[in-house]
Amino acid sequence: MDILSHLTPMFFGLIAAGTLIGIIFGAIPGMTATMAVAVCLPLTYAFGLENGIALLLGLYVGGISGGMVPAVLINIPGTPSSITTTFDGYPMAKRGEGERALKIGIVASVFGGLFSAAVLFFFAPVLADFAIKFSYVEKFLIILLALTVIASLCSNMLMGVFSGVLGVWLSLIGTYSITEGGNGETRLMFDFMEYYLIDGFSLLPVLIGIFGLTTVLLDAEKGFKDETGQGPISLKGGAKFKFNVFKGQLLNLVRSSSIGTFVGILPGVGGSAASVLAYSQEKNFSRDSSQMGKGAPQGIVSSESSNNALTGGALVPLLSLGIPGDSTTAILIGAFTLQGIQVGPLFIGNNIDTWYLMIIALLAANVLMFGIMYFAIRHIAKVIEVPKYILYPLIIMMCVVGAYAINYGIMFDVWTLLIFGIFGWVAHKIGLETVPLIIGFILGKSAEVYFVKSIESYGNLSIFFTKSPIAMFLWVLIAISLAFAIYLRLRNRRQPTVES
Amino acid sequence: MKAILGKTCLAVLTSAAIGVSASAQAAEDCPLPGNLRVVIGSTSTGGDTYQVSSMVVDQLAEQLDINAKVDAVGVMPGFQALERSRHGNTIMIFHDGSYLGHLYGVNGYPDIFSKFVVGPTIAINPGNAYLVPKSSPYQSMSDIIEAAGNGKQVKVAIQPGGVSEIGFTALKNAVRMQYPGKESNIVAVNTGSQADKNQLLFDGAVDVINGSVQANEQYTQLPADDQKAMRFVWITAREKTIAQTNEEGMGDTTREQLLQYVTPNASVPMSEDQDFTFDKEFFLLYNKDMDPAAIDCIDNALADVYEGDELQEQLKRSFFVPDYKPTQEAASYLEEKNDEYKTIISDLKG
Repeated sequence: MDILSHLTPMFFGLIAAGTLIGIIFGAIPGMTATMAVAVCLPLTYAFGLENGIALLLGLYVGGISGGMVPAVLINIPGTPSSITTTFDGYPMAKRGEGERALKIGIVASVFGGLFSAAVLFFFAPVLADFAIKFSYVEKFLIILLALTVIASLCSNMLMGVFSGVLGVWLSLIGTYSITEGGNGETRLMFDFMEYYLIDGFSLLPVLIGIFGLTTVLLDAEKGFKDETGQGPISLKGGAKFKFNVFKGQLLNLVRSSSIGTFVGILPGVGGSAASVLAYSQEKNFSRDSSQMGKGAPQGIVSSESSNNALTGGALVPLLSLGIPGDSTTAILIGAFTLQGIQVGPLFIGNNIDTWYLMIIALLAANVLMFGIMYFAIRHIAKVIEVPKYILYPLIIMMCVVGAYAINYGIMFDVWTLLIFGIFGWVAHKIGLETVPLIIGFILGKSAEVYFVKSIESYGNLSIFFTKSPIAMFLWVLIAISLAFAIYLRLRNRRQPTVES
Repeated sequence: MKAILGKTCLAVLTSAAIGVSASAQAAEDCPLPGNLRVVIGSTSTGGDTYQVSSMVVDQLAEQLDINAKVDAVGVMPGFQALERSRHGNTIMIFHDGSYLGHLYGVNGYPDIFSKFVVGPTIAINPGNAYLVPKSSPYQSMSDIIEAAGNGKQVKVAIQPGGVSEIGFTALKNAVRMQYPGKESNIVAVNTGSQADKNQLLFDGAVDVINGSVQANEQYTQLPADDQKAMRFVWITAREKTIAQTNEEGMGDTTREQLLQYVTPNASVPMSEDQDFTFDKEFFLLYNKDMDPAAIDCIDNALADVYEGDELQEQLKRSFFVPDYKPTQEAASYLEEKNDEYKTIISDLKG
């Protein structure tokens, strides 16, 4: 069999190297899986298609997984899709459970990755046919469903919703790009800003500004002396990792992995929406979600299993339709085109060996990621024991480098990082809620494009309710999600009264 | 030990001196930096711009013995980076979209002919195409023009303001010529990526989409009862351009079959005696202040590269047509092309 001749030590070595480099990229704030794949893409020329794909898939899986490390340890999402990992990971790290949180995340990640690889292998063509039932209307409703998480996550409903809307507003600054079918006109800015803001604010500098730099500024304000209580976080003292933490989490794992895979299948919806959706569904539908956002393992499980499940999901439309499912697979497609290989609905049938090798590479990358991270994490987690007056300047340096590099050297991205770092600090002072704000920012642009394009394509607002049974079903989910969020809020408000 | 150390130092110094004098000689002949950044007008590394740029830049760097890297920064950051690079550290590769954006009045698109130096052309992507569902009643472009002339609205999914729109404009112009006043029946549905255009066709929200031979050929091989099945109705490239592609064509569609969708077999009239054609050409752009000697140097290096077979074969394997024209020839040729399309666009505006 020809496929066996490709399974060489070089093939597996490249997967391992890719996974390791990917983890490092993901773990550095500002560097992403997408960037890792983009940097290594030209190498596929030298390695050939099979070995090149092995390297890139390793980078992809490693990059997505590595994003959890800074999310847990320093409250900065390493990749946009690990934003929800910060919600519970960082509180756990603060109480000395950083290593435990990371191990929970690693196990959840490997589950999500293997789950989506299995789905990819067995159902890719069928799911691709299902994915094309999702037009602009259904995609808008998915984004709307993800936005309902704001209702669950905010501590003050009115301020949370306001912050979410502000996030959406910020995301719309810039051009309504012609590459998205827009009119190419700029909006929400003065003329003199056009040079810098023509493409709007980039997501990653905003994200690391609000999460990373704001944290540094808030801590700096308090001072870093040990006697102020702002000394290094200890790794000791918290609960240790045991596999029984997953007892009762099977439903969460399967549901979150399914959501991640499914969102990956839908081109253009994006990884952040996957983890946000999975997190909100766990928050709404689990038996006890009262600790979520305060350091609950189930939050990390939902976030990490869904964002790793995205990897297999995003490969479904790529390999079955020739359409990338997310930003990283959009670069991955370059590996095929550079080798002159057509990717489309006939790809799997025409390139059966490559298809099997990709599945093997994806499985191996997940297993290797688990091996590398699970055993190295004890040492990596020690980073939080470094005194903050040493750690924070390093973090700022990495954030600046990452922000500058994310769009191949745009200085304004560094300013964006600083602007949003200061903005986050001000937001804390005036009571704005940064998590709803950032969720609004991440999802706002897609929401706008899908909303406008739905109207342009189908003509009226009623289409959102009548387009298809899928649209109606999504409305039901939106209603349930909102109702649960309101119910939980009312219950939580009543409980202290009863106790008192 | 000391003697060995001394000899080693001497050897290192000598090689360094030779290296410095060689690079000084090279710099004199060719005032290009040792590290050349090539920005492209696309953020996609899966698209044709990145693909063609990688192939050409690799060979160019080898020929000039420099390091060169392709950065997929997108249109506006690309123009901005080019504008800042007065010393030739950054050059740009883009296609006809760079001047079409300006002709369509897209915000931020400068007049490249006055703002930059238009450099050599490097390749043509002959794959710009229009497709309909396999079950569509429209068998040809003539059917579409006739339907619009008879009052039927035909929706076409395009990405506005560039290569995707120029064929749409030509179609509208053809309807205007044959059925004056009926051109409004050709309706643009503005959208973004190829995935979005395909999706609109799958949804039945449009009748025709702009696509490409590379991205859509496999969809044309699907059985007619598949919701995703498509059919080519028009490839905008010139007949002689398609004739230069490899005989096996693309995927399961041979060159002979592709020629069925090219003028004169698929006709979209531009004037009484001429059909509209459009070859998507890739070319280099330089900062206005770039040293003419450096421009000559790149011209000469590319001429040498294109004289060999390696790049030409590599391009053809990926369904590109090698198309090297040196800077001066390319600039006047592209300016003529710009003027031709300017006329069609302004005629339609009335």
